[in-house]
Amino acid sequence: MIKKVFILFSVLLLIYMLWPGPGQISDFKALPSSSKSKLEGDTIQIPNVSAYFSDNFRKFVVPYYADLYQNKMNFPFPPLRLNHPPEYSWIAIKKHTDSTYIEELTYPLRDSLYVNGYEPFYSDGSPKFWGSTKFEENGGSWYTKTTLRYYPSASLIRILVWFGIISSFYLLFRVGRKII
Amino acid sequence: MQKITGILEKTLFYLVLFLFVFIPLYPKFPLFNVTGTFVAVRIEDIFIGLTVSLWAVYLVISNQLRIFLKDKLSLAILLFFFIGVVSTFSAVFLTHTVFAHISILHFLRRVEFIILLPLIATVVKTKKQFIIILIFLGLTVLAVNLYALGQQYLDWPVISTTNSEFSKGLILRLTPGARVNSTFAGHYDLAVFLAMTIVILVSLFFSVSKKMKIPLLLLGGLSFLVLMMTAARLSFAALLIGILSVLVLTKKTKYILIILIFMAAVLIYPSQLRDRFISTITVNIFKQGQRYEGKTVDQQVRSKLNIPTLAIKTSSMSASTSAFASSSGNIATDITPGEPINTTELGVYRSFQIRLQIEWPRAILAFFKNPFLGTGYSSIDIATDNDFLRSLGETGILGTAAFALIIIAVWKKIFNVFKSNSRLIRFFSAGVLSMLIAFIVNGLFIDVFEASKVASLFWMMLGLNLAVLSFKDK
Repeated sequence: MIKKVFILFSVLLLIYMLWPGPGQISDFKALPSSSKSKLEGDTIQIPNVSAYFSDNFRKFVVPYYADLYQNKMNFPFPPLRLNHPPEYSWIAIKKHTDSTYIEELTYPLRDSLYVNGYEPFYSDGSPKFWGSTKFEENGGSWYTKTTLRYYPSASLIRILVWFGIISSFYLLFRVGRKII
Repeated sequence: MQKITGILEKTLFYLVLFLFVFIPLYPKFPLFNVTGTFVAVRIEDIFIGLTVSLWAVYLVISNQLRIFLKDKLSLAILLFFFIGVVSTFSAVFLTHTVFAHISILHFLRRVEFIILLPLIATVVKTKKQFIIILIFLGLTVLAVNLYALGQQYLDWPVISTTNSEFSKGLILRLTPGARVNSTFAGHYDLAVFLAMTIVILVSLFFSVSKKMKIPLLLLGGLSFLVLMMTAARLSFAALLIGILSVLVLTKKTKYILIILIFMAAVLIYPSQLRDRFISTITVNIFKQGQRYEGKTVDQQVRSKLNIPTLAIKTSSMSASTSAFASSSGNIATDITPGEPINTTELGVYRSFQIRLQIEWPRAILAFFKNPFLGTGYSSIDIATDNDFLRSLGETGILGTAAFALIIIAVWKKIFNVFKSNSRLIRFFSAGVLSMLIAFIVNGLFIDVFEASKVASLFWMMLGLNLAVLSFKDK
């Protein structure tokens, strides 16, 4: 019985891990009513990064990309939303990334999409702090900047990790039985 | 070949003896730094590396490798290392949550600490060697305590690794109100070491002759005094649990009441430790204590931001409103609204809030991201202050289960030693098991299994106890 459960679990895990999904950041659509940033660091300098100036706030942006990610994956469940402290943007996006929030959308054991927002204003237009200014970019004036970074992984890597997990479970069971 | 094996055995024993003395006593001077972290490679890592290399040669030459690989505990240790490799691979290439070289460094640190267990277990072969090690350990503990007193009263140098600047090997002195760390580079590490020591000393106290009881009592008393000077609440609680465990395991339960009264009396006596205990209850549990409200509207609004020191736009433009408190007053200059005004309460409050709001959630997020393997060694920063959450976050269910297997295997093996006829060995085993319990209690709020000195000594003590199993002259 345990053997059958283990084999079923292994096969399901492999299917889940190898299920095709987005391969790069360009697979994710731009934010609605936004202007794509052409600033250095937002285009080709850092892989799989794109940024948008818009008047969309966190309440709209994160669910928008969560839905998009789920649709791209064709999974019946949404990605996990992990809320990180803003300073994590320097690690997950790139150094010197301004941030007022950063959330990670992830399917465990697969890839992650980081959604970083810099919102100097509240959604009613009042400034959050001294020196809050609107973004004057691409001929427009915007309240927020959203930066995305996607971390894809190769199928071979996922197969190797899957093999590592399955072997670890098997060995844990064997050694555990001897010890306990 | 036997002659070479004999020479190797003797050399390894002296190396092990050297490590038992050198690791606790040598200050944490960095030998060379690693880019991207302030965890440095130190000379003790080189000595441990050399000893482990020689031990590997010994295992091969003496044909003990096969026996080693058949042992259940060795298998659990090797499995833990294997899962560590898989987790690191996953962290580098799948979740992209670590820098490869830093993660490998942290993985190797775990290997370095744990490998000392089987090493000591196979190198210490006779009761005489065991007693020699105990004597040297006693003298080392005495030296650690005397150095702590020197730091407190004679202005002896302090080496600390509590921040990135100090960890460069700066020679410091204790400032008023600062807590001693002796040679352990952090007062919590020293407190954990002393809690381990006192628990073992209590167990040995009941096993030795009357003549030997006095030096043990003095050493235990001195260690306890220094432990009080560290004002480490958790180690104090861990010590109490450890001592109670010794009394239960050695069937000396009639002393439990005396110990409880003594510890209660110590807590009533005015000290920094008492103040911190009281603050823990009033501030962290009952949410009492006078809180700082902010001098201006600016500060009150600012405190609601992620970065409370960020300037906000209000009617006031005065530069004086940017500082939260005046440096001339009794209030900490970096205090923010909502925090306790009393400095002891503030320290206790922050110590808990850092865990509750930053470190523990970070580890839990890492666990959610990859429940099986975690997000890799070093992925959740330098500290989590809860070793079990850290393990789940860094290596997931698999790594944590493998680690638990090691602990269970060790516990079961040592428990068997209780059948030993030797009173010394029986009581020492009770002390080591209680030390293990105290260490785990410490692990609930401190990363003891990653604190290099105490972690190394912990595994070495377990190894020393396991060595008893194979004594030729038992």
